[in-house]
Formats: sequence, C-alpha cells, structure tokens
Amino acid sequence: MKIKLLSLCAVAACSLGTIAQSQETVKFGLCYDLSRSYSFATPSFVQAAEDLATLVNDKGGIEGHKVEFLVQDTANEPQRGIECYESYKREGVLIFDTMSTPVSQAVLPRAMRDGNVMMQPLVGRGDAIVGDVFDWIFPVGPTYWGQAANAMDYIKQQSGGSLEDTKVAFVFMDHPFGYEPQPVLEEITKRENADIRFFPFPLPGVDQSSVWSQVRRYGPDWVLFWGISNMHVVAAREMRRNGIPMEKYIGVNWVSKTDIENMGGLGKGLKRSSVVDSDLENPLRQEIVDKVYGAGKGAGDVAGTENSYYMVGLALYSIAFEAIRIAAEQTDGPLTAEAIKAGYESIRDFDNAGLTAAVTVTPEDHGGGGKTRIESWDGETWVQETDWFSAYDDIVWSIARDAASKYED
Amino acid sequence: MFYRLSGVRHFSYTGDRSLYRIPFERNAALALLAAAILAPWIIGELTLTSLVQPWLIWTSAALGLNLVVGWAGQLHLGYAAVMGVGAYAGTHAARSGVPWEIAIVLAGFASMVIGSVFSIAALRVKGLYLALTTLAMQFVIDWSIVHLSVVSGGALASLRAPDMSLLGFEINGTAGLYYVALAWCVLVTIFMMNLRRSALGRALMAVREKDYAAEIIGVRSFVFKLVAFAASSFIAGVSGAVLIATYYHIVTPDQFSTQVSIQVLAMVIVGGLGSIIGTYLGTALILIMPGLVAALFHGATELFDLRIGVETLAHLPNAAYGALIMGCLLWEPLGLGRLYHNMRSYLIAWPFGYLKK
Repeated sequence: MKIKLLSLCAVAACSLGTIAQSQETVKFGLCYDLSRSYSFATPSFVQAAEDLATLVNDKGGIEGHKVEFLVQDTANEPQRGIECYESYKREGVLIFDTMSTPVSQAVLPRAMRDGNVMMQPLVGRGDAIVGDVFDWIFPVGPTYWGQAANAMDYIKQQSGGSLEDTKVAFVFMDHPFGYEPQPVLEEITKRENADIRFFPFPLPGVDQSSVWSQVRRYGPDWVLFWGISNMHVVAAREMRRNGIPMEKYIGVNWVSKTDIENMGGLGKGLKRSSVVDSDLENPLRQEIVDKVYGAGKGAGDVAGTENSYYMVGLALYSIAFEAIRIAAEQTDGPLTAEAIKAGYESIRDFDNAGLTAAVTVTPEDHGGGGKTRIESWDGETWVQETDWFSAYDDIVWSIARDAASKYED
Repeated sequence: MFYRLSGVRHFSYTGDRSLYRIPFERNAALALLAAAILAPWIIGELTLTSLVQPWLIWTSAALGLNLVVGWAGQLHLGYAAVMGVGAYAGTHAARSGVPWEIAIVLAGFASMVIGSVFSIAALRVKGLYLALTTLAMQFVIDWSIVHLSVVSGGALASLRAPDMSLLGFEINGTAGLYYVALAWCVLVTIFMMNLRRSALGRALMAVREKDYAAEIIGVRSFVFKLVAFAASSFIAGVSGAVLIATYYHIVTPDQFSTQVSIQVLAMVIVGGLGSIIGTYLGTALILIMPGLVAALFHGATELFDLRIGVETLAHLPNAAYGALIMGCLLWEPLGLGRLYHNMRSYLIAWPFGYLKK
C-alpha cells in the first residue's frame, strides 16, 4: 500500500514535472545598437523590456511561459547584427528585434529565410507592414509614411477641412530617414491640391540656419519636422530667430523630454506625433514602479521609467507579449516561431490599458492600423490634441505595396 | 629551424624569383589553404558564417585598398563608395537576369570606371589633399546612391540580391557561399603576392617612394597611379558584389558609408601598409575583435555576477577595444604584419641570433 502510494506520488511528480517542462522559457533576442547612433533610445527600451519581463515572470509568466531577454550590442554594424542573430538563433530565440535600420535590413533576409519572427517597430523598411510579402516581419506601430499622412490630416482639420491655400514646410535631415515621407506627402499634395515644399538640412544637423531662412521666406502655415535628438533643439532656436511660432511645429515621434529641456523655454507650444501614451499615470507603468522597483528588482534607475522612450519600449513589448499569450492559448506543447506568428496575426483591438492605440494585426496588415495622435507641450506636460487616428490609409498602403512588390522580384 | 635556408639553391632566374623562397613558408601556406578548404568540416557553422566568411570578404576588399595605399602610396578615403558602386552594379545586373558570374565581373568594371574617373581628378593633388579629394568622392557617390532612385530603388529602399548560382550550380548552403568568398580571397591574395615580383609592382613602389624620381628613371607615374586606382577599384567592386551575393543578400545605401571607408583604411594601417599577411590580421582585428571583446566582457560579468547597466556594458568593450588598437600600434608601429616578419627573421637566423639582419 505504502509503496503504491509512493509510486503514485512519483507518477504525479513526474507528470507535474513534464507540465512544468513543456512551458519552456520564451527567449527574445535583442540585437541592439547600444553604443552608437540609436543609443539615445535603446537603453530605455532594454530597461522597459527587462522590467516588463520581471513583472510578468513574477506573476508566473505568460500562460506559464517565463520570458527572458538576451541583449547584445551591435554598435550599429550590420555584420555584428548578423553575428548576433545567427548566435541567438542557435540558442533557441524565436523572436528578434534590432532597433537600428542598417542592422534590421541586414538581418531581415535571414529572418525571412529561416522563418523567425522579427519585431521591427519604428525602424527598417516601412513596406514590411505588407504581411503577405513580409510574412515573418511585424513592424506593429505606425510607419513614417503613416505618421506623415496623419500629421497632414491634422493640419487639414486645423485648416478647416481643406489643404488648399495652406502652406506646409517639410524640414528634414538629408538622410534616407528624412526622405522617407516624401512620396506620401507628394501624393497628398496632388490629391488635396496642397502647397508643400521640401527643405533638407545637412547632417549632423547642428547648423540649419540657411534652411530656416528659406523657410521664413516661404512663409509656411505649418512646419513638419523630420529629425532626431538635438536637431529638434537647433530647429527650435532657428524658429525663434526667424520669427516662426513654435505652435506651427509638428515633430516626428522622436521629440523627447530631454530635447525639450535642452530647448530652454522655447519648447512651449510645440507639437509632435505620438505613438504611445506618455502619461506617467499609465497603469502599466505604475504597476511596474510599485511591484518591480518597489521590490528593488528594477533594471535601472526609477527615473528612467519617466522617459518617453521607456513608454515606447513598454508598448512594443506588451504587444509582443500579447502575441505570445495568444500563441500559448492556441497551441499545446512547445511554442514555435509559427505559433508566435499566428499569435501576432490574431491580435484584435489590443490597446493595453490605453498605452497605445487599439492594435489589430492580420495576416495582410502587420502594421496594426498605423494610428498616431498629436500632442502639444504646454510647458509642463504633454497635452493630447487629438484622439488616436489614422488617415490617407489608401495612399500609405499603395506606396507600401508598391515598395514591397520590388522586394518580391 | 623551420625557416631553413641551407640546401635551398636556385639555378635559374625563375627559381630565384619564385613566390616562396623558403620551402617551409610554401608548405605553411599550402597547409593554411587546405585548412581553409576543410573549414566547413572543422569549425562550427556559426563561426564559419558569421566570422570567417565576412573576414575573408573584407580581407579581399582591404587587400585592394592596400594596393593603392600600401603599394602605390596614394591615400584613399573613399574606398567603401567604390565597393558600393560594385555592389549596386552587381545586384542590378543579377536582378535583370544577368548570370552571377558575369554580374560580378560587371561590378568590377563598373567600379573600375567610376573609381578611375574620380582618380583622374585626384591625381593632380598629393598627400592630404588627395585624401580629402577621395573623401569628397565618397560623399558624391553616397549622395548619388541615396538620391537617384534608379540606383537605390528609392530613399531607404533596399534591393534584394537574387540567389547565387555559378556555372549552373545553385549556391545556397553555408559551405557553398563560404567557398565563393574563399575563392575570391585566394585569387586576390595570389594577385597581390605576384605584384611584389612583377614590373607593375616595382613601378608602383617607385611611384610610392618618390613620384618625380620615378618619372626621371622612366616610370610614368601618372599612368601607374591610374593603374593602381583602376586595379584597386576593380577589386573593390568585385568584393562589394561578393559581399552582397554571399553575405548580406540585400543592398542598402548605408552599407557603404564614410564610416566603412575609415574602417577599411584602419584594417590596412593596423595590418601594415604593403603587407599581405598584415591585411589578414588587420581585418581580423578591426572586424572581429569588437564582437569578441564585447563577448569577453559579457562573459566576465556573468562569471562574477556583476550587475552592470546595459549601456555601460556596451561602452566598456569599445574603450577596451580602442586601447587594444593603440597598444598594437605602439608595440609595432609598422602594423601587425611586421610582427610576422620579425618572427620570421628571428627564426631564419635561430639559433645564431647574431646573424640576424
């Protein structure tokens, strides 16, 4: 009897063991540029990723799957990104992120060939939203085409529903990143009979004086600005010098609090398009501050969680976690890259407690809807000017499909 | 001991001018070549694809730059742009249906033409002025690639390279792509080794030492400078195309930026100007060492369970790596290739050190 009981216990223990074993850890491979061009944002992303993983793991993981982040610096060099991808692939990583356009472009063909999920939000090729071509790539979030289109729609609403007789100056860095929105803006110009003029400024963007005097002569009603980090600060100074009010300025999503602090008092009234909720009262952030930082398990300084890049990181990884949750629900046994892909493609109206716009990913649309909102800086905090919206989707998609078709042949 | 010279006699001029005058060196080179051919069976797939293969491709490219900087003495800061011309030419040709073996040669010629056109302007100036002129060439080509959508396929676009096939064979496995890179690297190495004992090589060296002195003894320095630029551009173009076809599989504008030019030049300088084995070592140091140093730091933090922030952990290896390069150049200012040379001359005389030259 006793022996029987013991063996029963042993069987039970064994079966419990196998259950625990089958819920293996899900590994994320972050081949990030932590020391060069993208180091203004990547440390915050890593902090967000690791905090979110700590929070979820302490609750027992995603449907029993623990989450682990493997992070490696690529110094923005393609061959180090490839090395990172190839080595993580062999460690059983199924979901990758690069957060650098050169590295993402180098890794993309390999991820497509090997059938591994690649998150590619905010960097890399915009046409990757076309899911039937880029079946393994998930750039959930707005493309720069979408961001520009949405900003133009905002301008249209502000100008009384028409872009005729509205002058828009598109001021951008002379780099592929700056040129990216151009085809969208040209299409909108044609359709709306608008007046958009392009003003590239040379890299590294510390001297923009010649461009802004041209902008002044043009006399724009609105300024769309495509640049990163300190370029916004230089632009704010030049706008003051040329007498262009800051209220006319709509920046790409990379305007951060640090930039505004560096502008001195000039930043008041500035607008930016935003991809996440930057409200510090956001429940997810609050939970992390209470439970993770409260227990001394934070991945960095608690002040780091107030950074808007941290919020972007939280948003991106909670969408990935949602994909894994759906994948775990849909499959028994170990998670595969196929299961995570299917999980991504089953995300419906996921807004993660208001952190982002409601995201719906389908096998055709890997972008999730491309919604942004416009915010303005009132001198203290970000004020929402609009709700989440997207506009000119047909233009954005025709350009994306056109670019994607070039990848296919 | 190994580099034994006794019993080695040359009875003809051809024998005296042979590639390897010391049998041991020839055997060592053959052994290395055999190891390189057997590499897919000896070393792991990860090391082969992500370390050895890029190392071979970048070495071929750096050897081309060494031809113009080390042999002909012309400073070149726009080398990556020339590689980019080849990469785009080769990819466009292959995409429009030209077989890869022809596309690669076309890439070489496209680079040769554009590289030579720029060099004609550059040849009127010398030294640092030449460096700046070639740097300007880098910017002109970069600008053209980004702004001409015929070339790049549009801003921020990338062109996928078709799968490679050579002489009717599909090349898609790890080993196959590696062999293509190896074959090109061996070809360039043999060419460069022969340069040393050919009239062309001697003429280039004469131009490097003093161009007007060369002119006086009948070496037309303008022509040979042009030849140096053309030959190195050809190597750059083919290397660029091979890089895309076997390694990146996709071509984008920022793969051949100014920073890459500086890196290739660093490979040549750290390796040693005019040194072939040095170019191999220099490329390894510049290309592979940063990743290894980072892995070392990563391993150390895990071993000692140190909690260092990701940002610090990313920057520390960079500092260590910078110190490593400086250390190498302080130890041997003539480059890593010189280290081999020192060892060789020590071993030739050993154990009679006082005979050392």
